[in-house]
Amino acid sequence: MLSADPRSVSLGGRPVHAMLVPIPIVCFVATLITDIVYWQTAAMLWADMSAWLLLVGLIVSLFAAPAGMIDFFGDPRIRKLRAAWIHGAGNVTALILSIFNCLIHTRDAYTSVVPSGLILSALVVLILLVTGWNGWALVYRHGVGVRQREQQ
Amino acid sequence: MKFAGFEATASAVILALVGCGPAPIDPSRQVGADPYLPPIHQYLLPPMHVAKVVGWNGATPSVPAGLKVQAFATGLANPRSLYVLPNGDVLVVETGGPPGPVSRPKELVMNWIEKMAHSRTKPGQRILLFRDTHGDGVPDQETVFIDHLHSPFGVVLVGNDLYVANTDAVVRYPYITGQTRITDPGVKLCDLPGGPIDHHWTKSLTASPDGSELYAGVGSNSNITENGIPAELGRASIWQIDRASGAHREYATGLRNPNGLQFEPQTHTLWAVINERDELGPDLVPDYLTSVRDGAFYGWPYSYYGQHIDPRVQPQRPDLVANAIAPDYALSSHVAPLGLVFSSGTSLPVHYRAGAFVGEHGSWDRTVLNGYKVVYIPFVDGRPSGPPEDVVTGFLVDGDKARGRPVGLAVDGKGALLIADDTGNSVWRVSAASP
Repeated sequence: MLSADPRSVSLGGRPVHAMLVPIPIVCFVATLITDIVYWQTAAMLWADMSAWLLLVGLIVSLFAAPAGMIDFFGDPRIRKLRAAWIHGAGNVTALILSIFNCLIHTRDAYTSVVPSGLILSALVVLILLVTGWNGWALVYRHGVGVRQREQQ
Repeated sequence: MKFAGFEATASAVILALVGCGPAPIDPSRQVGADPYLPPIHQYLLPPMHVAKVVGWNGATPSVPAGLKVQAFATGLANPRSLYVLPNGDVLVVETGGPPGPVSRPKELVMNWIEKMAHSRTKPGQRILLFRDTHGDGVPDQETVFIDHLHSPFGVVLVGNDLYVANTDAVVRYPYITGQTRITDPGVKLCDLPGGPIDHHWTKSLTASPDGSELYAGVGSNSNITENGIPAELGRASIWQIDRASGAHREYATGLRNPNGLQFEPQTHTLWAVINERDELGPDLVPDYLTSVRDGAFYGWPYSYYGQHIDPRVQPQRPDLVANAIAPDYALSSHVAPLGLVFSSGTSLPVHYRAGAFVGEHGSWDRTVLNGYKVVYIPFVDGRPSGPPEDVVTGFLVDGDKARGRPVGLAVDGKGALLIADDTGNSVWRVSAASP
């Protein structure tokens, strides 16, 4: 447990990274689901949904990622945590893969998903499982982004 | 050191994204009956290279020695197709497509690019009539012939019936020779596939030599089925419409975006120019000029040039692909042919009197621009007999700026070639330099 308030980017006393990061996670997980449904049905609606989900996920990541990086680079105590390195490196990788995935999803029809898009979507979700596991450890075990009880 | 490594990696990634794809080949390898077809290349980011529109500013297109070019009409609002009435009056169709739908993020970008590549002028959605009363080839009277149309494109006159192909229907109007304005609301002959999605919206129109049938080109509703197979019902085909009843059947299918429907004067067979698919590389798939055989399937969307499978289409239809036929004459890739006219009726030098002119609107997804000109293809016995020759050029200036873009073609009453230029908002007239 970090002994004093970690210097996390916050808004109204709430940690920005922790508030935003669920949105891209949900989007990228949903992308895998809609990709799988498209792969099985070849109904374009599902591929279109993947494209929107990826875009929304990436746009919110544009805010969530810098907030997380500022927390990471701004606090040497966070940088000492192994879980923080895994979380950060994994999420950056997932983000780069998702940018490529977004471009692949701009192709037309079947090859916008199968196979490259689908593989990337699955890889990203696998990475997010690992980074999420480590991210929860950062918050619940190490108190990153957690405000200490007010000192009177 | 660590940073230098990162920078190198980043620039490699950016290069891979931006400079992606094979270098374009010489388009001359892709013209004629047996074009070179390179392997498929699917992009991460297609090279979108649209010519910046700069306008003519008093300049004119260029033509080879023996021909001269002059402005027939200027200051128009998106002229895209032309039709010459028997008395020599010239109809100019000012038109534009309906707004594209946004079913995924890509379309936001594509709609923007399309806007960049075209004139900023709002399309007239009407037909203008130009008359040359002095007999000097240049019109001196202009009237609004038919107003308030719905993305019109094809026009054909049979007897006293004038047919206009709007994007969603063929409409018949009564016409009396010499008439300069039609106020009759017209009668719908036949619905055509229009909205809500209307990707390829230009409906080309012609009539059989005996006047009993009309033929309408109905383009596909997507590049390659990305709007779903159901959206393609009745599309990517040429419709044969019975003039008396309005009943139709699909005369030929698998033609992604057929335009310039014309009957070849010697053999009386139907020909058309076809815009083939995008985003398989700078040199796939070559657009083409072809005779259109009754009942034939030309591949789209499942395959191209016979049995070359397009992996983007699922589920595939091997039963259809097995019967897909290759077109007659490739024009090279992404030239976007939209206009076709046979030259036998012209008063141009003899060299140009036995073939076809094709108006190439020009490429948008090829690093080296292709098209943006009018070419002449010589014919012998009703078949193409040689490579295309550039006839009207100069639509591009400084390599990648567009003064205009040629679309529909026609031959006027004096045998000159007329060219609709939708981006330059003009109609050009090409005639023999001296009698």
